[in-house]
Amino acid sequence: MAKPSLPNEFNDLEPFAGWALPTERERNHKRINSQMSEIQALYDTMVPRMGAIMEYLNKLPIDGMPEDAQRLFHMTLSLAEVAPAVEFYQQPRVIDGFPAERFIPIDVPDMTPT
Amino acid sequence: MALITEDKHWAAQYPELGTDPIPIEPCLSPEYHERERERIYRRVWLNVGREDELPRGGDFFVKDIAAVNSSILIVRGKDGVIRGFHNACTHRGNKVTRESRGNRNGFVCGFHGWAFGLKGDLINVTDEEQFFGLDKSSCGLTPVATDVWEGFIFINVDPKPEQTLTEFLGDWGKALSGYTFGSMVMRDRYETEVNVNWKVALDAFQEAWHARFVHKRSGGEAYASKDNPYIHVLQFKLYPLHRMMSVPGNAEFVPTPIQICAHQFGKSYISRDGSGEGLPPGVNPTRNPVWMFDSNYIFPNFSIFVFDGMFFTYHFWPLTADRTLWETRTYYPPAENAGQRFSQEYAKCALRDTWLEDLSTLEDIQVAISSRSVKHFMLQDQEILVRHSHKVIADFVGDE
Ligand code: FES
Ligand SMILES: [Fe+2]
Repeated sequence: MAKPSLPNEFNDLEPFAGWALPTERERNHKRINSQMSEIQALYDTMVPRMGAIMEYLNKLPIDGMPEDAQRLFHMTLSLAEVAPAVEFYQQPRVIDGFPAERFIPIDVPDMTPT
Repeated sequence: MALITEDKHWAAQYPELGTDPIPIEPCLSPEYHERERERIYRRVWLNVGREDELPRGGDFFVKDIAAVNSSILIVRGKDGVIRGFHNACTHRGNKVTRESRGNRNGFVCGFHGWAFGLKGDLINVTDEEQFFGLDKSSCGLTPVATDVWEGFIFINVDPKPEQTLTEFLGDWGKALSGYTFGSMVMRDRYETEVNVNWKVALDAFQEAWHARFVHKRSGGEAYASKDNPYIHVLQFKLYPLHRMMSVPGNAEFVPTPIQICAHQFGKSYISRDGSGEGLPPGVNPTRNPVWMFDSNYIFPNFSIFVFDGMFFTYHFWPLTADRTLWETRTYYPPAENAGQRFSQEYAKCALRDTWLEDLSTLEDIQVAISSRSVKHFMLQDQEILVRHSHKVIADFVGDE
């Protein structure tokens, strides 16, 4: 049997596992290419679970979570990504905004203090 | 609730600025821009980043600055000192590194293999016997004046800078010293090239009034209140070159569900940790409980937006008279768990979308003013930073 992609307690979120994307560009790309109904469904499902999700994830090392927890974490980052679409714009893109495609994230080097 | 800002006329405090409309031509003229490059950018201190980007000896990054026609190499030596050089080989001018950042024991030019140490010294010349009395000690990389204030690295391409960095930052620098810049790390960074004059871009961030309009969906309500609908600021302070404003929030603002969530798990951008006790006197100078952030504008093109517990910076790099490279960098205390990282990610996404709103006006403005049908910007009292900015620039640029 295939290993479940999310931790057991969060199996019910499996239909949204397509949002488990590791980078901001991928999450933003999915947001601006999704229907509002899909975005709203992610938001409505995740928001009430956030307390339980963070209780689970906060016990794990931030860098070096097991793969299933990592995927759940990336889904919370997608929630952060889509939140402005739901709460500010009621549409996937910024209303009258500069194109997100032209606003380029630059890799941040590891600057953990030595 | 009492009015958070009295109606006062800031122009009366800075009478030398006057109240006239200001000319638009400097935002259009290629000739004016040439003078900006010569008389400002080639003469003053420019921020290129923070020292935490170079934690170890041998760490380096390169900053190409079109306004001074230079590629600048910033290196931390094994002795811990941060130095700046022109990224130009002293043999025949090739870049000594094509990488934008990394860690090295030295730099070997890819053209003919000349090797330079981390202090810029020329260590090795290949086929050296064929040269004619080459004095290696005089062929090190060309140094660029480099200094650090509160972890911020500044360079000055003037071979003999008129002022030290401390003199240049002056009283503004003193007011900000002691803020906990060093306890925060860069969390995200964006770049975009915009078809706009750099001053038009900068001006879009030098007043709070627009937030009620440009940001009406994304956060204007966190600032505009019933008592203060146009977000009159708590304080403006003008220095000879630099300037700041202290921006209030709306005490009655009700955060969104995600904002509540983000504030519960960690530090986001519009959460407030309290009255700002422990902040240096130059941050939240009025000690007003509705304070949200201070925005600081360091001449000519650098901004630091200081919140209680996070800060972000902007760089407005002119590329041509009508093209600007805009950079944002955001800093937080290192996230210790997933919840804190989520809060920072929310702030990143919300701020990014807010910036997309800010950027939305810029190219339209440049196109519209290019007609020269409008010849002046009309400025009100709450736009005094824009007025000051143009005045300081014009004083450097001169007439001809
Ligand atoms: S240009 Fe660098 S070694 Fe020739
Ligand atoms: Fe804005």
